[in-house]
Amino acid sequence: MEHTIKAIDTELAGLGHDVSAMGDLAVAQVRASVDVFTAHDLTAAAKVVRGDDALDLQDAEIEKRAVRFIALRQPVADDLRRTIAAMKIAMQLERCGDLAKNIGKRVGRMTKPAAAAQADPIGDLGRLVTERLAAVVEAYRTDDAQGAYDVWLKDTDIDERHEVTLREIVSCMASDPESVGDCTHLLFIAKNLERIGDHATNIAELVHYQITGHELADRPKL
Amino acid sequence: MNVQLESPPETAILELPSETVKLAVKNLNFFYGQKQALFDVNVGFAANAVTALIGPSGCGKSTLLRTLNRIYSLYPGQKATGQVLLDGEDVLGSRVDVASLRARVGMVFQKPTPFPMSIFDNVAYGVRLYEKLSKADLAARVEDSLRRAALWDEVKDKLRESGLSLSGGQQQRLCVARGIAVRPEVLLLDEPASALDPISTARLEETIAELKRDYTIVIVTHNMGQAARLSDHTGFMYLGKLVEFGETEQVFTNPVTTRARDYITGRFG
Repeated sequence: MEHTIKAIDTELAGLGHDVSAMGDLAVAQVRASVDVFTAHDLTAAAKVVRGDDALDLQDAEIEKRAVRFIALRQPVADDLRRTIAAMKIAMQLERCGDLAKNIGKRVGRMTKPAAAAQADPIGDLGRLVTERLAAVVEAYRTDDAQGAYDVWLKDTDIDERHEVTLREIVSCMASDPESVGDCTHLLFIAKNLERIGDHATNIAELVHYQITGHELADRPKL
Repeated sequence: MNVQLESPPETAILELPSETVKLAVKNLNFFYGQKQALFDVNVGFAANAVTALIGPSGCGKSTLLRTLNRIYSLYPGQKATGQVLLDGEDVLGSRVDVASLRARVGMVFQKPTPFPMSIFDNVAYGVRLYEKLSKADLAARVEDSLRRAALWDEVKDKLRESGLSLSGGQQQRLCVARGIAVRPEVLLLDEPASALDPISTARLEETIAELKRDYTIVIVTHNMGQAARLSDHTGFMYLGKLVEFGETEQVFTNPVTTRARDYITGRFG
């Protein structure tokens, strides 16, 4: 049912639209960061770094809108949950953006493209994480509690793949001391991707909460 | 595994542990002549807590309040069936002394109703009816009541002036002082702040928050923010039925029934 005060519907829809749009941009940034890593494309890497400013602006704008909505409309129940979730999801997306930007920076600092033994598992991890983030942004857009729950349940496979990737990088460092500098960047790139996966899981919890009013407890652990 | 998205229930009434309940309403029906205004209401009001009753105009929340001290029986043709148990004793029973019931269950109305007498006598009036106190004890009782109602500092130098000389907010707190002077156990408030400015409202709310340490308080309010700020439990009524009753925090963050959710979020018809 619609609100008696129609502006409330308009403002809530606007807030949701902004968060979805920010989600799309965050997914695009993460995807681009994985692509520039895989292709070792330094020009595109610099573009990813610059692209993060837009996410910071969107986060600030969403927070401003949510605070204004709380102050002027005093939302309760699902309206309140939606408003708080919008603010918190924007914060999670902003952090995803920071991590993607950091990947872009690290690609720029590597002396040469990573060897296939390390690049392939990182690329796989990156694609999995991008897909997961895209799925949770879609669940947000379509108000899909089940979709959010499915993302939440699957976080362990990202952790698994991260572990495998780490082992590859560490064995490379052990066998070739020359590579330690570049491999340190690889460690951070893999860690950044794993943390983007964590943010996707956090967002899944927020989407589930805003729809159902219930918190998801006991996140699956590796 | 699937996310549970069951369709919400029509009603959701939290049953309080019986040892916490001061006033228990059981199977209550109420009639204005032929017209039924309450339908099978079952609810408990907890001791030392504030319970807010909310709902659209005509939903029966004031009617429910009026049964709790039988004030409806002043009017012909009004009838209640069921039970209202005050400490386990049915106040609707025929052998109940209505005057002493109303001393145990005090009431403050929507509009301030000071008596046309001095501030002191307004507060002392009920006490003189029920108790024979010495002059000093009576003065102490009046002061204590005015302090609890957060009015003492504003009136202590003009106790002999007429109660009618006070502002609306002060008059309402005077009525609260008068209500608690007879040491009731339950305090019923029917939209006590609807005619008050924000400062007076805040003072009255602070008074109510203080009073709940000693009393069981039931408040009818149209102000959703007030219900949220003030109460421990909230009951939402609609068309004479209690639709949802629960912890205020739950009702305002995650109401169970669609009707309560629609009402508190302003999606009502």
